[in-house]
Amino acid sequence: MTTTIHSDLPRNFQKPRTPLGKVAKGSEERFGLAAGIRKQLNKVFPDHWSFMMGEIALYSFIILLLTGTYLTFFYDASMAEVAYNGTYAPLQGVEMSRAYETTLNISFDVRGGLVIRQIHHWAALMFVAAMTIHMFRVFFTGAFRKPREANWLIGLSLLTLGVVEGFAGYSLPDDLLSGTGLRIADAIMLSIPVIGSWVSFLVFGDEFPGTDIIGRLYIAHVLLIPAVLAALIGAHLALVVKQKHTQFPGPGNTEDTVRGERVYPVYAAKAGGFFFLVFGVLAGLGGLAQINPIWLFGPYNPAQVSSGSQPDWYMAMLDGSTRLFPQWETRLFGYTVPSVFWPTVVLPTILLTLAAAYPFIEARLTKDRDAHNLLQRPRDVPVRTSLGMMAISFVVVLFIGGGNDLVAKVFNISMNAMMWGLRIALLLVPPMVYMITYRLCIGLQRHDREVLEHGIETGIIKRLPSGEFIEVHQPLGPVDAHGHGELEYAGTSVPKRMNQVGGATRAIAGFFRPVREKPDVLEQLEAIHQAELESSVSHGGSVEVQAHRRQLPE
Amino acid sequence: MSHDDAARAAVDADLESTVGADRKPEVGADLEPDVDALDLSDVGFDPAVRQTGAEDDSTLDHPRANSHTPTRGLRRKRAGRAGRLRRRLSAGLVLMIALLTMGGIYSMFAQASSADDSTTAANADHGRQLFSLGCVTCHGANLQGVVGRGPSLIGVGGAAVYYQVGTGRMPLVRQGAEAVRKPPRYSLEEVSDLAAYIQANGGGPTLPQGSLRDDKNVAEGGQLFRLNCAQCHGAAGRGAVLSAGKGIPSLAKAEDYQIYAAMLHGPENMPVFNNNQLTPEQKRSIIAYVQTLKESKDPGGNGLARIGPVSEGAVVWIVGIGLVLVSILWIGAKS
Amino acid sequence: MTTSGMDDPAAPTRPGPGGVGSGAERSTSLGDGTGVTDQPAPRGLPAPEHSSPDVPSVAELAQMDTEQAMLAGAVADGVFVEHRRNRYPVPGTRSEKRAELAVAACFAISFLAMIAFLVVFVAVPFKWVLPGQGSQTFHLYTPLLGTLLGISLFGVGIGAVLWAKWLMPEEEVVQDRHGGPSSEADQLMTAATFKSGFEDTGLARRSLLKSTLGLAGGALGIVPLVAVVGGLVKKPGNKLQTTLFTKGTPIVYADGRRASPSDLQAGGLVTVFPGVEGGVKAADSPTLLIRLRPNQKIKPRENQADYGWNDYVAYSKICTHAGCPASLYEQQTSRLLCPCHQSQFDVLLDAKPVFGPAARSLPRLPLGVEKGPDGKDYFISLSDYTEPIGPGFWERK
Repeated sequence: MTTTIHSDLPRNFQKPRTPLGKVAKGSEERFGLAAGIRKQLNKVFPDHWSFMMGEIALYSFIILLLTGTYLTFFYDASMAEVAYNGTYAPLQGVEMSRAYETTLNISFDVRGGLVIRQIHHWAALMFVAAMTIHMFRVFFTGAFRKPREANWLIGLSLLTLGVVEGFAGYSLPDDLLSGTGLRIADAIMLSIPVIGSWVSFLVFGDEFPGTDIIGRLYIAHVLLIPAVLAALIGAHLALVVKQKHTQFPGPGNTEDTVRGERVYPVYAAKAGGFFFLVFGVLAGLGGLAQINPIWLFGPYNPAQVSSGSQPDWYMAMLDGSTRLFPQWETRLFGYTVPSVFWPTVVLPTILLTLAAAYPFIEARLTKDRDAHNLLQRPRDVPVRTSLGMMAISFVVVLFIGGGNDLVAKVFNISMNAMMWGLRIALLLVPPMVYMITYRLCIGLQRHDREVLEHGIETGIIKRLPSGEFIEVHQPLGPVDAHGHGELEYAGTSVPKRMNQVGGATRAIAGFFRPVREKPDVLEQLEAIHQAELESSVSHGGSVEVQAHRRQLPE
Repeated sequence: MSHDDAARAAVDADLESTVGADRKPEVGADLEPDVDALDLSDVGFDPAVRQTGAEDDSTLDHPRANSHTPTRGLRRKRAGRAGRLRRRLSAGLVLMIALLTMGGIYSMFAQASSADDSTTAANADHGRQLFSLGCVTCHGANLQGVVGRGPSLIGVGGAAVYYQVGTGRMPLVRQGAEAVRKPPRYSLEEVSDLAAYIQANGGGPTLPQGSLRDDKNVAEGGQLFRLNCAQCHGAAGRGAVLSAGKGIPSLAKAEDYQIYAAMLHGPENMPVFNNNQLTPEQKRSIIAYVQTLKESKDPGGNGLARIGPVSEGAVVWIVGIGLVLVSILWIGAKS
Repeated sequence: MTTSGMDDPAAPTRPGPGGVGSGAERSTSLGDGTGVTDQPAPRGLPAPEHSSPDVPSVAELAQMDTEQAMLAGAVADGVFVEHRRNRYPVPGTRSEKRAELAVAACFAISFLAMIAFLVVFVAVPFKWVLPGQGSQTFHLYTPLLGTLLGISLFGVGIGAVLWAKWLMPEEEVVQDRHGGPSSEADQLMTAATFKSGFEDTGLARRSLLKSTLGLAGGALGIVPLVAVVGGLVKKPGNKLQTTLFTKGTPIVYADGRRASPSDLQAGGLVTVFPGVEGGVKAADSPTLLIRLRPNQKIKPRENQADYGWNDYVAYSKICTHAGCPASLYEQQTSRLLCPCHQSQFDVLLDAKPVFGPAARSLPRLPLGVEKGPDGKDYFISLSDYTEPIGPGFWERK
């Protein structure tokens, strides 16, 4: 950019006098960032609540890094045997690993250690949960379509790695519960055909449990996986910045523009505030809800087990599939393929492959190769929505399967009946959910079109001279000769109740009820509006009108 | 009482380990640490029973020993609540009074010891009356059982009565997959009388005297609990399910004597843990661990029913995700 | 007037003026094409006027106030502030003060909660105490910390969001995406650059270089893999096939006492281990010693008729499905249940799986008895398990 220095520049621009100005000028002379930084500050984010789900995951990750770093100061990933000598009397004198002992110390002997440990664990559960709902949002609105397939794949990798990271962390305390989980993980590794026992020995360094696994899981948990996660999160966000966020169709929203608020200052304040809200929720949970009370479980001992041993929620799906899978152990030419292999290795591989391939499958089936920046409402793509709901219902049945012993206990159902019921449900429920969702989508679509054609039901019944009763409908736009609305359905939400369109003030919905300006503000607005009208007369048009008139999407 | 004698002989053989093994260490072990915690009635009652128990066959004097056993946990709590200072100051005084009172009552009972059999017999007799009113329809007039209704009770021992009647499982409301815990129909007195009656007719394992809980070895009890009990009752004693509608009860309401009785008796699907397998000391340690877990407060906030990841998952989805979703709805709402 | 022409005037994304009001009229009123109106400051609106590039000159910027310059910068970035309004057009009204006060209250609450947090952190006792042996107030420590930290964070969070929602100007902004592919000319030139560079190296012609480089690169890729995996890899050998039980190994309980036939009552079971060094701790050791009830008979597997001892049988405790200790014993039905995946094994059918995902019977340990030094009978194993215990694996015979 070539600029002529004008002599009539204000003094303070040439020679900044404030310290901040000096720093700004100095760094500008060295790095030349002004234009780039301004571009980022001016970046526009579309405004919809569902676009903040990814941030929950991002913030949980940051909180995990903060609390996790704290925990490393006290934790010792060693499987050396020690006799416990800490505060918690019911375990005093018990033989345990250093890992378990130091986790007990964090819980009982480090001031404030327990609350940090619990925040860390809750944040881990929240991290995966937030990624999951974020993924649902992206799926059901078609945000994964071209040009965002790469980000879909990165997101899927993040989810998978997040689960692995969580499982590694869950195993670190070396308590009876997580040790049982590790033993099952060992069985899963053993079940892999041909290389199974080699994989198991490679990971554990010996026959289960060996003496290496906690140390290895630790370095994976605090260094390897977080580093990859951080890099992938960076790439994920960089792509969002480069490609800009998708948005819902709406008045003035086009494929080529993004409408919302600028990063600085409003969006930054909201997103920054949201970080504290997420942290606040996790801190509250960390203090008020006890999580992973390892002192109740005791140290790991291969001869011991507790009934009701479950993994953290994100592994419950695998646990459920393992429980529900039939007893199909196959012998091939004198070699064994254990039944564990199918539900724990094959099934997740299939599910992940399907999820990864979905954007490409859909593009091929719909022959839609265009880039899309506008989202779709779930009802407008009934097949995708139904497939998604089908997948979710499948996973939910597996989830229930993962806790089937507790469900059976709480609801007093026979364990055997429960198991058979879930096995049958696993086959029957997903297709049923598909059909129901499909019908729902079509029904909602039809209703939208009906409202556009006939208007909103007002609830006012009128008697015609002929004696016929009719309900008065409020058209949403211009009508043709037959009184039918002329607005085309444009993939955006259609108001269906009078108070969504009427209202004395601007028709912008508040959270719980329509927003009303405060009386004194209303007065001021009125006065300004008046002044504007007067001035616009001289200019020949209202500025307000100009600014708001944008072309509608076709 | 020839029937009684025969039964007793049989029981002696069977129960040598059950009763004989635990009496010796207990007299000494139990008296000393507890002295400062005992109140007068306690002290007065305790050694007398022990004395007779030590002299005589144990099976007959149980009712009274047992009738005080279960209340012991209560006393311990009361003592625990009292300040340590106050206890230390008054320990000497109490000890003196206790010794005097003990002596007095001992001499009283020693004189009456010939009448002891008849006292116990009176308890058993009361138990028989209760039995013939409440239990006879299913278990038969001579404890032989009634086909299709209830099993024979000969040889099940007093422990079975303490467990089944004490936890309210018996009398059964109706036949089902298994009996469930409900508010007991009989008072503890009546339960011990019933137990005395059952014990007197066929013998079998029954509760030892004195404290059933040894708080010195809580940690060892924990190890034993995790090895022998946690696979069914769960590490936190919450219970679980077995095959085809059968369940494992939670230990939430179990009292010391009920746990002890359950281990000796092996009710329903629970295996028996006799005294060779788990010594009486080990049983007391296990009970101490179970009760300590129940009494101890959760240091990390609400315990979420202590069932682990399932309730944690529910909380993170309902409360955690719920709250942040409310937050983003609020942030995203136009204002 | 303007100094750069970075924006493509033909870009279809440019929001037009919408037909209302005329561009000509605008440019006369504004004169500089910055997109800033000459309205009173809070209502400054950009003119969607884009027939000419929009970076104003420095001199023009010098004449603008902060907001106008900001809006000019936004336009230069392809960002169009469609609607922008101070929420409180007249500063200092009561409702503005109220809003400000509410935000301030959030921050103040946050501050107070943090102070309380510090006080609790330092002053409240947090050490766990056995019930009945002292004050139990420790159980309030973590909840208090969490609650106060939560309140403090919530205060900041709610305050910041309220600030943005109540006090910062309300705006609706549209930005061009520019997200599409580069221009075709750019694509061609980039492709040419790559191609030319590749040709410069001559790799296509110099096949000797190509193949040797391939060898070297391949080796460099494989060496770390070999080093890492090679260091980690470990031969399973027959460790999975065997346990510590051998011929004549004494059978002991967890506390080291030897197991004797007189120990169990009918219907009882106990976990036992090989009485050798490390036997109690090894993961493949745990074995269930079960005493059957008098009327029960087991139908043994082939060649295992003599594996029991009187009414005693011993099975591996490790589930053949996923390796959990399958040790929930239903005494009445003589079933062993696994708590992890609910497999059920019927002991009377020689621990055959009768329900759930497990596919193989629990391996059976051949039991024998020897006289101990005290003359009592004690259990020993007659040999190792005759099949590998625990979950299946490929080489399992």
